[in-house]
Amino acid sequence: MKQLILKELSLCLHPTSLIFLSFAALVFVPNYPYEVIFFFSGLSVFFTCLTVRENGDLAFTAALPAPKGAIPLARMAVTMGFQILLLALVGALGALKAALLPAELLINEAGLSANWALVGSGALLLGAFNLLFFPRYFRRPDRVGGPFAAAAAVLFLLIGLLIALRWTLPLFSVTLNGSNAEHTGAKLIAMAAGLVLYAGLSALACLLSVRRFLKTDL
Amino acid sequence: MRALREDRPDLADEPPALSVRRLGKSYPGFTLDDLSFEVGRGRIAGLIGRNGAGKSTAIKGILRFISARGEVSVFGQEIALREREVKQMIGYVGGGFRFYPLKPLAAVRRAYARFYPRWDPAKYAACLSRFGLDEGKKVRELSEGMKVKFALALALSQGAKLLIMDEPTSGLDPLSREEFCDIVLDLVRREGITVLFSTHITSDLERIADDILYLFRGKLLADCPLKVWQSRYWLARFPSPERAAACSAIGVKPVREGFEGLLLRENLADPPPFPVFEPSLDALMIHLEREQENGL
Repeated sequence: MKQLILKELSLCLHPTSLIFLSFAALVFVPNYPYEVIFFFSGLSVFFTCLTVRENGDLAFTAALPAPKGAIPLARMAVTMGFQILLLALVGALGALKAALLPAELLINEAGLSANWALVGSGALLLGAFNLLFFPRYFRRPDRVGGPFAAAAAVLFLLIGLLIALRWTLPLFSVTLNGSNAEHTGAKLIAMAAGLVLYAGLSALACLLSVRRFLKTDL
Repeated sequence: MRALREDRPDLADEPPALSVRRLGKSYPGFTLDDLSFEVGRGRIAGLIGRNGAGKSTAIKGILRFISARGEVSVFGQEIALREREVKQMIGYVGGGFRFYPLKPLAAVRRAYARFYPRWDPAKYAACLSRFGLDEGKKVRELSEGMKVKFALALALSQGAKLLIMDEPTSGLDPLSREEFCDIVLDLVRREGITVLFSTHITSDLERIADDILYLFRGKLLADCPLKVWQSRYWLARFPSPERAAACSAIGVKPVREGFEGLLLRENLADPPPFPVFEPSLDALMIHLEREQENGL
């Protein structure tokens, strides 16, 4: 698995995987739907999968001495590594913003503020993307567009739902909004719930992807 | 035609380099029909058949690129049970090296070599030198011949004992094909490597193959030493199709000088009543395929 992950990093990774990590800095933009940051993570996965298709990567990798089932796991492990890095960056840059700016500027009029709850909702979005994209992609790895379009559509629906909740439910507009210093417990619970959901959805995505890829003809 | 199978003394004592049992795969309009064969250690087996006969499907099934039925063992170890260990022993060379065109050879080699504990840097350096490969070049900058050599350099440096090559010479000019075949022959002689070589360019195999595996529409029609297969038939020339039919000629077709077909040597009177020639692999395939198609 280690060799496969190193191969993914050296031969398969699309530059946008690194570039889109920097989009975590969008949390400094006032009144911006920060949930969109997590969509870019999915977009980089799409570019990577397009690139590996054009490079014939799966046929190359299948001839290597590694179990076939490990191939999707390695790609997903690398993706999840970047996703976790993105979540950490959003959390860290949100905390930095809170340390630098006055509390009233932390209220986000377009969605959730850059706080622990945003990390939780981001984790939920990324977990949903993993489950929606990878199992469909690994069933037919030559077709990247369909699985991505489906995953992106659901992702934007979820982002829209989260923004709507921020305007309709006090839980989202008050409790989970604003600085981490207020309603800290609720925000930490939201983050923990999001991370647990992320782990569960991603694990399910791994299981389904491996099962489908083993039946895929390369 | 009844499938031709010969007892092979080279397979008697130790597990063969490659053993394929009842390998099968069905697609709409094509079935690889429970293929079973063995390749003895240190032999070069040519897998032949026209386009679409199932050569690539068979190789993909052997290497588990596709989910196929059946069992495959390499040097006695079953690939389904010990995929990692078995693939350490296999070097795969496809038609050209179509992977990562924008990457330098060095980057591909670094990623590749990590998978093989027996990777031999000295041997790789020797291959680069022998084949005239520059690691600083990108894959797309290589000619088709150089791409095949790069794939071969990777396979040899990993310590492969079994080379599986799927149409490696398609797209190469005659001189490059000749050079490639010389390299393969040299490897087998000096290092005892076993080779399964799929191709529809049969002239390559006539120079180097020990054994022939002949596929027709997913069925194995011949599995025997090349010389045995060739010595089974005469290529005969007839003045008319009626005379050919009277001799039970196989796969008769018109040619400029009359009609040609195969005759089983065992059925032939001595001396033969018509001009006869040693059949090339191309001639064997052409007439046997024609006979099969006439029979369908």
